[in-house]
Amino acid sequence: MSERVDLQEFVGAFVAEAEELAAAANLSLLEIEVANTEGTTRPRIVRDLFRALHTIKGLAGMMGVEPIVEIAHALETLIRSADRAGGLLSPKAVEIALQGIGEISERVQAVAERRQVAGIPVQLIATIASIDAEPAATRLIKKIPSGWEGRLTVGELQQLDHAHDTAIPVWAVTFMPSASNVTRGITIASVRRDLAAIGELVRVFPRALAGPGDATGVAFDMLLISKASRDVIAATAATELVDIVAVVAHSAAAVAEIAASGAPDAPGAPDRDDHVTAIGRAVVRVDLSRLDELQEQLSLLIVSRFRLEHEIAAIAKLGHDVRRLREIAQLQGRQLRDLRRAILRARMVRVADVLEPLNLLVRGLARSTRRPVQLVLEAGDTELDKAVADRLLPALIHLVRNAVDHAIEAPEERAAAGKPTTGTVRVSCVAVAANHIELVVRDDGQGIDRDAIARRAKRPIASDAELLEVLTRPGFSTREVATTTSGRGLGMDIVQRVAVAELGGELALQTTLGAGTAFTLRVPITIAVMDVFSFQCGAQCFVVPASLVEEIFEVSAETVSVGPSPPRPGAGASTNSAVSLFEHRGQAIPLLSLGALLEIDSGARARKALVIRRNGQPMAFSVDRMIGRQEVVVRSIDDPLVTVPGITGTTDLGDGRPTLMLDLNELASVYRDRVAS
Amino acid sequence: MKRLLIVDDSKLMRDMVAACLRPLGEVAFEFAATGLEAIERLALAGFDLVILDINMPDVGGLEVIEFVRAQDRLRTLPIVVVTTRGDDASRARVIDAGASGFLAKPFAPAEILEAVRRFLPGKQPTA
Repeated sequence: MSERVDLQEFVGAFVAEAEELAAAANLSLLEIEVANTEGTTRPRIVRDLFRALHTIKGLAGMMGVEPIVEIAHALETLIRSADRAGGLLSPKAVEIALQGIGEISERVQAVAERRQVAGIPVQLIATIASIDAEPAATRLIKKIPSGWEGRLTVGELQQLDHAHDTAIPVWAVTFMPSASNVTRGITIASVRRDLAAIGELVRVFPRALAGPGDATGVAFDMLLISKASRDVIAATAATELVDIVAVVAHSAAAVAEIAASGAPDAPGAPDRDDHVTAIGRAVVRVDLSRLDELQEQLSLLIVSRFRLEHEIAAIAKLGHDVRRLREIAQLQGRQLRDLRRAILRARMVRVADVLEPLNLLVRGLARSTRRPVQLVLEAGDTELDKAVADRLLPALIHLVRNAVDHAIEAPEERAAAGKPTTGTVRVSCVAVAANHIELVVRDDGQGIDRDAIARRAKRPIASDAELLEVLTRPGFSTREVATTTSGRGLGMDIVQRVAVAELGGELALQTTLGAGTAFTLRVPITIAVMDVFSFQCGAQCFVVPASLVEEIFEVSAETVSVGPSPPRPGAGASTNSAVSLFEHRGQAIPLLSLGALLEIDSGARARKALVIRRNGQPMAFSVDRMIGRQEVVVRSIDDPLVTVPGITGTTDLGDGRPTLMLDLNELASVYRDRVAS
Repeated sequence: MKRLLIVDDSKLMRDMVAACLRPLGEVAFEFAATGLEAIERLALAGFDLVILDINMPDVGGLEVIEFVRAQDRLRTLPIVVVTTRGDDASRARVIDAGASGFLAKPFAPAEILEAVRRFLPGKQPTA
C-alpha cells in the first residue's frame, strides 16, 4: 500500500466547511454587536465564535493556506481574551473581527477558484493584536450551585447570573451512559443535544465512577437552565437524577411548584414538531458538483426519452399499433418528472440563507455612507435551486447597494421630508405560481427622478417600464447619473441580464419620487430544466423559454405591413425585410423576422409569430414553423470566449444535435443597435 | 483488528486524519466529535489507540486524558494528541496530563502515521 497520502482531495470539503464557519462567525459577531447595543453579553456566542475560528485555523493549516492560519490565529487570540472576560467584546473589536473574517472569506474564495491566495495582511494582524478585549465586567455572581464552585468560567457564571435575574430555574442533571442506552440511540451526544433544545445547557462534566468491576465507570453531570418541568427534563435526559439547584422565587412553595410543573409561564415540553426538528434531523452535506452530476445523468435520461418518443412516432407512422408503447412512455415521463422533482428538492436552499450576506453588505454600506439604514429580510420558508441562488445573489447585491448608496437620503434630508431618519431597505421573497419566486427589493428613499433620467437619455419617459428600459441599457452611463440627484443605474444592465436572459425571469420597476423604489425580480426556482417552445427557422431548430412567450399567432399577409429594410451587411436586394408591423387586437406590434436577424433566412414565408413583452411593450418575432412545447435541460454558455449576443445556452431535443436557446430580448437590442449604427 | 478512536470536533479534520492513516491497512476507525462522546465511547468499549484534539467544546482533550488516566482499565491506552497549539508549554501540559504522543497541527501525513505506528501495540515503526 502506498505510504503517500495527499490531502488535496479535501480541498472541496475544506472550502465548504471554511465558508460555513466564516458565515457562522459573521453571524456570531453581528449577534455580539446587538448584545453590545443592549448592554448585555453573550458568552455562549463568544465561545462559538472562538471555536469557529479555531477550527478554521486548524483546517487551513492542514491545507497549507498560511495567510488564513495567521488571520484566524490573531482573531482567536482576541476572542479568547473576550471569552475570559465573560463574553465582552468591544465594538471596535467586533469591527476588526468582521474585517478579519472578510479577509479569511476572500482567501477561501481564492482557494475555491484555484487562484493565487493573497498574502498575510500584516497591517490587519497588527491592528488585531493591538486591541484589547474589554476588561471583565465586575458583576456580582449571586449564587453558584453547591458542588460547582470553582469549576465554571466567568462566562458560565454570567449565564447562571442571568438565569437568576430572570427567575429561570437551574437544574443539575446526571446522565449515566450504558451499553443498553447506546443500543437505543441514547448517548451523551443525543442527551446533550436534546437538553439544549429545551433549555440552555451551561456545562457538562464527566465524572469517573469509583468501584471495581464497574464496566461503565462514567457519569456526566450537567447544569441546565430551563423552564421545562422536572419530568420533561428527566425524560429528555433518560435519567431520574434531576434536581433543581438554583432558582429565584418568592417562597419555598413557589419553588416546589416550579420543580413539579415548570415555571409559571413555562413553555413546558417543546411542541412535537420542534422536537422532531431538533432531534430527528439527519443532514448530509453533499458537494454541489455531485448534485450536478446527478442532474447531468437525469438530463441524459430526458434526452433519451425524447428519442424514444421520436421512435414511437416513427413506428406509428408505419401503421403499427403503439398504444402500449405510448402508455409505457407516458408512465416513464411521469416517473422522470418525479425524479426531477426529487433531485430539485435536494438542490434547494432556503432563500433566507441566500439573503444572509446582505446583512453584512448593508451594515458596511451604512457605515461607509454614514447613513443609518436598516435591512429587513422577509423570506419566510421559500426555497430555490442553489444554481439559481448563486446567479441571483450578485443581482440582489447590486440592487441593495444601489438602494443604500443612491436612494436613501441623508438623515437631515429625511427628517426634513418627514421620514424616519433611519432608512429601510426591505428584501422580501414569496413563492408565486408555477415554480417561480418573486423577490422585491424596496427602499423608502428618494425615488428615481424620471425627468432627470429623460434629460440624460435625451428621450421622453412616460412610464416606469420605459424608465427601466433606459436604466438597463448597457450603454447608459452609470457614472454620470449615479453622482447626480437621479442616482441610479449602476450595473442595472447586469441585473437585467441575470433576471431575464440567464434565468428566463422578469424584472420590473416601480418608483415614486420622494417615497421610494421597488425592483421586482420574478425568477424560476430552477433553471436546470426549462419549459420551452421549440420552432424552426430556416433549416435550424431553436428554443425559447416558454415563460417569456405571451402569445403565438398565425401570420398572414393581410395583417402584416412591410417596413423599412434593415441595413444588413453584405445583403443584396433583400429577400424578407427584417422588420414590419403586425396588427393585432387593434394594436400595431413590431414584427421582427428571426431568420433575417440571425441571417439564416431561407426565403420561406414565415407562418408563425411569437409575442414577447419587452419592457412592457409587445414585440413579435416571426418563425417558419412551430415544433412544440417541452421540458428540456439547458446548458448555459458560460465561457466568455464563446458568448454570442442573443444566445444563452444549448439543449438537446432528442435528435442528438445541439439546439440553441435564444434570448429574444437581446436579439431585439441587437437589431436596434444595427438600425442605430 | 485494531480499533482506533479519532476525536476532533471537525468532521473534515477527522476524515483527514483517517486518510493520513490509510497506509496502516487493517484498522477500524471510530469517530467522536466531542470530548464527552469520546469519554462515553472509551468507557463503554475497548480501543487500541486514541487520536485526540485538545480544543473542543465543553470537555476538551485534557479532561479526556484526565478521565482516561483515572480509570484502571484505561491507564495504558495510548493517546496521541493532535493540536493547533504546538508551543512547548502546551506540549508539556499535554504530556504531564498523561498523553503518550504529541503532534502539532498542521502535520504531514507521514508524521501522524509514524506517531501512531510508534504507539500502536504490536506494531513497530518502520525504519
